[in-house]
Amino acid sequence: MEKLQSIGQLEWLRNKILARSKTAGTVVHVCMTGCRAYGAAAVKEALQEEVNRQGLSGRVEVRGTGCHGFCAKAPVIAIDPLGIQYQEVSPEDAAAIVGDTLKRNRLIDRLAYRDPGSHQPVFYLNQIPFYKKQIKRVLTRCGRIDPTRIEHYLAAGGYGAFAKTLTKLTPEEVIAEITASKLRGRGGAGFPTGQKWKFTREAGGHPKYIVCNADEGDPGAFMDRAVLEGDPHVVLEGMAIGAYAIGADHGYIYVREEYPIAIEHLTVALAQSKELGLLGENILGSGFNFDISLKKGSGAFVCGEETALMASIEGKRGMPRARPPFPAQSGIDRKPTNINNVETWANVPMIISNGAGWYGQVGTTNSKGTKIFSLAGKVNNTGLVEVPIGATIKDVVFEVGGGIPMGRSFKAVQMGGPSGGCVPREYLDMPIDYDTLQRIGAIMGSGGMVVMDENNCMVEIARFFLNFTQSESCGKCAPCRLGTTQLYEILTRLTLGRGKLQDLETIKELGQTITETSLCGLGQTCPKPALSTLKYFAREYEDHILEHRCAGATCDTMVISACQHACPAGIDVPNYVAAIAEGDYGKAVGIIRERNPFPAVCGRICIHPCEFKCRRGELDAPVAIRSLKRFASEWFFKNIGPKRKPYPVTKKEKVAVVGAGPAGLTCAYFLSKMGYQTRVFEAQAIGGGMLGIAVPEFRLPRKVIEDEIEYIKNCGVDIVYNAPIDVNHTVNDLLGEGYGAVFIAPGAQASIRTGIPGEDEKLTGLYYGLRFLTEVRTGRDIRLAGKVLVVGGGNVAIDAARTALRVGAADVQIFYRRTREEMPAWQKDVEEALEEGIVLNLHWAPKQILQNDRKIIGMEFVRSRTVYDDDGRARLSVDPESLQTVAADAVIIAIGQAPDASFLSRDSQIERSLWGSLEVDRNKLATNIPGIFSGGDFITGPTTAIQAIASGRRAAIAIDKYLLGDKSRVEIIDEKTGRPSSAGLALEDESAKDQQRIDVGIEDPHDRIKDFREVEKGYASDREAAREAKRCLRCDLERERR
Amino acid sequence: MKPPEIDWDKLKGIIDRHRGEKWGLIPLLQEIQENFGYIPPAAIEPVAKALNLFPSQVQGVITFYAGFALKPKGKYVLKVCRGTACHVKGSRSIIRLMQKELNLKEGETSPDYQFTLETVACLGACFLAPTMLVNRNYFGRLAPVRVTSLLDHYRKSKEDKTP
Repeated sequence: MEKLQSIGQLEWLRNKILARSKTAGTVVHVCMTGCRAYGAAAVKEALQEEVNRQGLSGRVEVRGTGCHGFCAKAPVIAIDPLGIQYQEVSPEDAAAIVGDTLKRNRLIDRLAYRDPGSHQPVFYLNQIPFYKKQIKRVLTRCGRIDPTRIEHYLAAGGYGAFAKTLTKLTPEEVIAEITASKLRGRGGAGFPTGQKWKFTREAGGHPKYIVCNADEGDPGAFMDRAVLEGDPHVVLEGMAIGAYAIGADHGYIYVREEYPIAIEHLTVALAQSKELGLLGENILGSGFNFDISLKKGSGAFVCGEETALMASIEGKRGMPRARPPFPAQSGIDRKPTNINNVETWANVPMIISNGAGWYGQVGTTNSKGTKIFSLAGKVNNTGLVEVPIGATIKDVVFEVGGGIPMGRSFKAVQMGGPSGGCVPREYLDMPIDYDTLQRIGAIMGSGGMVVMDENNCMVEIARFFLNFTQSESCGKCAPCRLGTTQLYEILTRLTLGRGKLQDLETIKELGQTITETSLCGLGQTCPKPALSTLKYFAREYEDHILEHRCAGATCDTMVISACQHACPAGIDVPNYVAAIAEGDYGKAVGIIRERNPFPAVCGRICIHPCEFKCRRGELDAPVAIRSLKRFASEWFFKNIGPKRKPYPVTKKEKVAVVGAGPAGLTCAYFLSKMGYQTRVFEAQAIGGGMLGIAVPEFRLPRKVIEDEIEYIKNCGVDIVYNAPIDVNHTVNDLLGEGYGAVFIAPGAQASIRTGIPGEDEKLTGLYYGLRFLTEVRTGRDIRLAGKVLVVGGGNVAIDAARTALRVGAADVQIFYRRTREEMPAWQKDVEEALEEGIVLNLHWAPKQILQNDRKIIGMEFVRSRTVYDDDGRARLSVDPESLQTVAADAVIIAIGQAPDASFLSRDSQIERSLWGSLEVDRNKLATNIPGIFSGGDFITGPTTAIQAIASGRRAAIAIDKYLLGDKSRVEIIDEKTGRPSSAGLALEDESAKDQQRIDVGIEDPHDRIKDFREVEKGYASDREAAREAKRCLRCDLERERR
Repeated sequence: MKPPEIDWDKLKGIIDRHRGEKWGLIPLLQEIQENFGYIPPAAIEPVAKALNLFPSQVQGVITFYAGFALKPKGKYVLKVCRGTACHVKGSRSIIRLMQKELNLKEGETSPDYQFTLETVACLGACFLAPTMLVNRNYFGRLAPVRVTSLLDHYRKSKEDKTP
């Protein structure tokens, strides 16, 4: 190519390229950067071969491009102008793509994106949700042009902004335009770019330098890499414009050596620009000289810091120095230097071309434009995402990112790498902006977004980052060099379970000191990962120290197997699953009962935290632990039954339990097992608490809970029904009657009122969730008809809605104030409810209940959404304008339940908590009165059966300690059962390696709503159960294997 | 086995090309590193002389940057990513497995100079997590089975071929 001498020649060349490209027809874009790791090169080759073989070579171009963004489904190809995207393409697909799609316009089902909800194929790129919420400005050419060919960039209008700069704008005008655009540094700190340029322009001294910081070192960030690999010329053009504005004649690009493709493409791009005379002497005849050199980093994270980077360019150790003087005054070679990040430079040409007004059409008040995020970690659609500044984290993680894999729950998103912090779920709706993030202890950073789910331990994450900064600290200043090491050692100690509470204070103090006294940005920000996790996940830190529990089940010293650790009751899951694989169901049930006397109940309604942590889930799908438990317990009650010999009474003390729910009965069961004589006082005529009176028959048949209570009774537990503890028979009376200790576990059964106008309990057609469920369950003949509205989003709301359908309602509508993800109800039940035809109305808050002649006729709702105040605190805001009136025949209010301590009116010496329950010690569940303990939902508010069971066992251990005079803490650690099983090793059984999860059957939605039959079926045969059980990887044996 | 002999003429040629170059130390060291897989300690003095520096300055730069090594590396340099995304997706167990399979600790080279095992802060390939770089080839979504088969391939392979 010949050197261009003028602007006119540049336009002439552009027109020539455009004229030539019009003749080409279809273009197949194959990502040749990120997708290369998945064999994109072979795919491209195969496609080209097929195009030639099938005689399309003149009409179809196979083009190697940069990243398309949708890295989760690599290798990805896009076909234009058809607008089709195919994913996970292999070389074998080439013949079909060319033969069917290109030749015959036939779409290929198996290569299409699949909608995760409907499982329908989506062929067109603009219909894929991943792209829908994005606005591609910086990345607009990425994935569409061949980055190694300058013609493509020119055809897309490239270097037009530079030409405009040279001919139409003075340097001051360029700076004014950039300032007006409110572009802020995309490298993380967010300093206004126009201002920075102005400082360097106004600084005395010559020559001046500009630098492109491409030392993208933050773990979890890869957007600079994508821009450099996919559209290198835009960075060169941005730098050229900047150089003109600042008055620099030389530029450096400092790029990590770990990015070989970026280096390759930059080298090619630089050579092409120089050849065309777009860089060099007297550019396009304008008299402006500017050249760029490439400098490779050598693997030092700290070189991303500007002063360290400049030292490295000068060939020295990359150590930062104190500022001022700032680089604008004294940078490379002590000359004025302007440093911007890759993405900042890439924003410059579009601002000059389209103007600051256009640029500011997206963004927030203080920050305009878009931001690229690299989305990685526990999210479905990992990849490169460009969204307007001001988009919410939820938009990015759930809309674009497609949410968390395997139905696990979102825990936090780490933003800004080692200099940033973790953003917890309460900020999901917060708009992403430099200022908002700063306020909550994170930073925009370079744009790395690593999503974490419930299986990540936040202490371990903090330790990970401190390990990183402590090894990358350059060592020049003491606070960073020594402080990071200290922090790292403390955090390591915590993950090993050897921490002290005092360590948490030390982390805060040390973090503060490092922040205030470190020399450079690396040091000043490095405590953030620890400080932000400690701020938002303090409970996880405390649990590591006090309870030897790791919420993510990752800290080795506390965890034998993740499933066991995830179980609140700590059941030895792998061993009972293995017993089921062996066909020894009695043994399996025995192992479960070591920690939980409700195997049959939990086999049906447990929310199974174990399955969410199951390692097999990383491979394909978790072992169906809950269904296996049901299978074993069904066998037990069918073949052995609830009969058994009572445990012998060996201790002289008696213990009383108030409430025969899961917490109370579990406590009594374990006390009996320890040899205590126990008696349970139950106010109702039936036992089981919520399980007995509220959980509907179609989820938990009465026989199941009856068998289980019968078994507990036969262990020696004495249950007296219709025996309320109240003014006539107080807790004090119990102590007087010779009970050595009392456990109070009456549950949380008082329905919360909405407090909205028109809420009058005596209205015909108004029900409260729990009472409604109880009346139906205990046989009261309630019939509903017509349209029923259910207000709330918890388990009771869903159960009430499904029950309403089964007692005659024709149309059931649930109204909930927040999002579906925020519903406390078990997602499985929500899905089943939707299958049954129940409608979910989200973001609607109740406003008024409408009545006519003491009978409900409908309800009013208003739109609600989460908003944030200046301190980042979330609250729900309603929009009064958005009133919606819904006609209804009945309304069921199920917005929550609370404990009701009024029955303890005469036991006023027991200390109450603020919200109407009792104040207890979290470890021992002890109240302020010696011998009186309390637990279960009564203390925590409504939770789950398995948590109540765990609470009951904890109480039993604490009461035993109390009666023995042992003052030490209760320590519940994971233990192996004394009855180990060896079978069930998927690793040793070839057939189980590829065995897919076997799910249990479900009754058809149309049939099941006609009556109260159980929705879920169990495993049909021993063989089915054994095959599922053998999928277990036996992580518990890993220590021995290691 | 011994590491390959050093071609001193080639080394001298590289040094000569950078003689007297302004800010030339890092590019020069990078070229040596790239050609020989490490910086032979005997090269430090001639490099210092060529750029008019003290040997201690050269030594200081070499030890500061992770990209330079003073010991020869294996034919295949395995860089396992321990970046955030890889970490949350279980790179710890991948590293543990590789250590066991190769009987090497981080930073060590096998006696036959076939493998060097390293970890790297982040490869910027987070969408592939957990990931590793073998010389210049990326491998993503690593699982134990894939790691063992990759290692088997490179154990046998005498040429740099991607499986």
